Amino acid sequence: MTEATISVKPKKSGSSLHRLQTKEQISAYLFVLPAFIVILVFGLFPIGYSFYMSLFNWRVTKGSFVGDKNYLLIFGSWTNLLITIVGILLIIGAFWLWSNAFKSLKKGEQIAKLVAALVMIIGGVIFITGWGQMYDSGNKSFLNSLIITLYYALGTVPAEVILGMILAFMLYQDIIGKEVFRMVYFLPYVTPSVTSAVVFQIIFSLRETSIANGVIGFFGISPQKWRFEPRPIINLLGADFAGFLAGPSLALVSIMLYGIWSFVGYNTVIFLAGLGNIPKETYEAAEIDGATKFDMFRNITMPLLSPTTFYLTLIGFIGTFKAFNHIYVLRTPSAGDSVITTSLLIFDQFYKANQYSVATAQAIVLFLVILGLTLAQNKLMGERVFYG
Amino acid sequence: MDKTAIAKKPVVSVNRAKRSPFYYPLKALTYVILLGGAIVFIFPFFWMISSSLMTLGETITRQILPKVPQWVNYQEAWNQAKFSKYFINSVLVTLGTLTGLLITSILAGYAFGRMDFKGKNILFGLFLATMMIPESVTLIPNYLMIRGSIIPLPGGTWLNTYWALTIPFIANAFSIFLLRQFFAQIPKELWDAARMDGADHLRFLIQVVLPISKAPIMTVLLFGFTGSWNAFQWPLLVTTKDTWRPIMVGLWSFVTEAGPQTHLLMAGAVISLLPILLIYFLTQKQFTQGIATTGLKG
Repeated sequence: MTEATISVKPKKSGSSLHRLQTKEQISAYLFVLPAFIVILVFGLFPIGYSFYMSLFNWRVTKGSFVGDKNYLLIFGSWTNLLITIVGILLIIGAFWLWSNAFKSLKKGEQIAKLVAALVMIIGGVIFITGWGQMYDSGNKSFLNSLIITLYYALGTVPAEVILGMILAFMLYQDIIGKEVFRMVYFLPYVTPSVTSAVVFQIIFSLRETSIANGVIGFFGISPQKWRFEPRPIINLLGADFAGFLAGPSLALVSIMLYGIWSFVGYNTVIFLAGLGNIPKETYEAAEIDGATKFDMFRNITMPLLSPTTFYLTLIGFIGTFKAFNHIYVLRTPSAGDSVITTSLLIFDQFYKANQYSVATAQAIVLFLVILGLTLAQNKLMGERVFYG
Repeated sequence: MDKTAIAKKPVVSVNRAKRSPFYYPLKALTYVILLGGAIVFIFPFFWMISSSLMTLGETITRQILPKVPQWVNYQEAWNQAKFSKYFINSVLVTLGTLTGLLITSILAGYAFGRMDFKGKNILFGLFLATMMIPESVTLIPNYLMIRGSIIPLPGGTWLNTYWALTIPFIANAFSIFLLRQFFAQIPKELWDAARMDGADHLRFLIQVVLPISKAPIMTVLLFGFTGSWNAFQWPLLVTTKDTWRPIMVGLWSFVTEAGPQTHLLMAGAVISLLPILLIYFLTQKQFTQGIATTGLKG
């Protein structure tokens, strides 16, 4: 068949062949055109326009050109940002040095670790200095929101990954009703986030008869205010911390619990797919060699699952920085800033306060933070991943 | 794992001997944890349905089941609380979005997968880049665009219109990427044969490619459907009246505007969930596999 088409071609004159190709080119452009217009207008153009807006004093309508003022409002000064970034880079570098010292060096290991620890301390000090200066002279609510987002990420992603792995590993055994379990676990993820968040609004309400209070009442704990509680959870337990050391508020923890509930099933399904890709022969060989189940889990399953774990951690982290719907539905005025993650802050800044240019500048910073996190995770974790 | 181990005869005796003391307790523990997990996952759904059938009084005192199921709640939510309006809005918006999405992504996916043109790779890379951009960045310019502040729009502004809810979503890079991957794998011989018969690209696409591409098109439809049905942030921004408010915004505004009417709210929540549940149960395998292989939520 291919020969036939080739033999046809030479008979045609060069110009008609050229015309044929031009015709194909034109129809290809026509095929792409509808999608291109939509993606150009609503996907590509807004990126540039966001940056353009962030350079003006823009409140509902365009005002005067202000240059980097909206960015300075966030950081205080560019020097602050530079110091903070240098601190972060040093920490990352030290971490890289530390993990590489484990691998390659035999004799110099101690020295390398010592150097790495030193660099990490210096990096930490520089980072805290830069961050402190930013905090003093920059936008406190924006910087706070980054910390809230970080709490939210650290409180949900590891739990989701670990629970997902445990459930997937159990489901992978000989289990009756495997399909039903998988379907049930996946259900919260499939459910529209506004719908399930509305249900959790009632579950985590401050009524003494709410479901959440019922559950902790069963363990003899007195009723809590859940979504309405701005105090850090650690203070409720009796310890007296203040500031960021105190950790997330109970309101944020309520949202975290919702987040874990809705996301574990997704991780389970992905881990199940990952487990299915591990060749059975590996386990059989290990079994003959007398390996216990725990040995096999530690030395076969975990390393061979590491790409999946890495992927889910990355997706989870990026997801928390983008998360909006359920936090928007579950937040309460009385929880105050303690649940305002960066994407919510940006939305409020735009939708409620009409500070368009401030919001776009913050959105661009958020985007760069996400990009940086992705690259850092690729660098740090990517090297430890075992790609069978 | 256990199955294959048992199937291999020589291993059986070793296995049984080694595993016997802990085998059944471990198995029991596994079931306890799995069932416990299932209860935690399913309970909010059970409770949602149960309280949607309670009286308002019953939702306040912690009841697990209503004394008499109040089916009238659904009637009230559907009529008085305007969930019928929101529901129909969402159906129309979803249908419109899916129609547009199918046309744009099939055509573009085909061009990227099976045609040659100048600038193809650059264009495809640009498309893919949009997948990494967080919504916070594009939201504000898109709002201004729809408001008619950037370029003049027919009718002045598109706020509170059908167009605002559909047009921005009738094409996305993910659907194009998904279809491109599939279309590119179709053997070249099919195209050569079709061309011998005098078919052009469009006829080949419609008569040959589409009939064998049901699975990826289904995945695009599923993601498009959930994305459109679950949409919240954008509709919240561009609809201020009931006229075009879709179901998720309706549900949210019911919370803020109607005060504590938990029984009706839960009935509304069930209504908003039904289409998704229906599709999930009907296409369960494809739904789960689609997400597992692409790793994205619509």
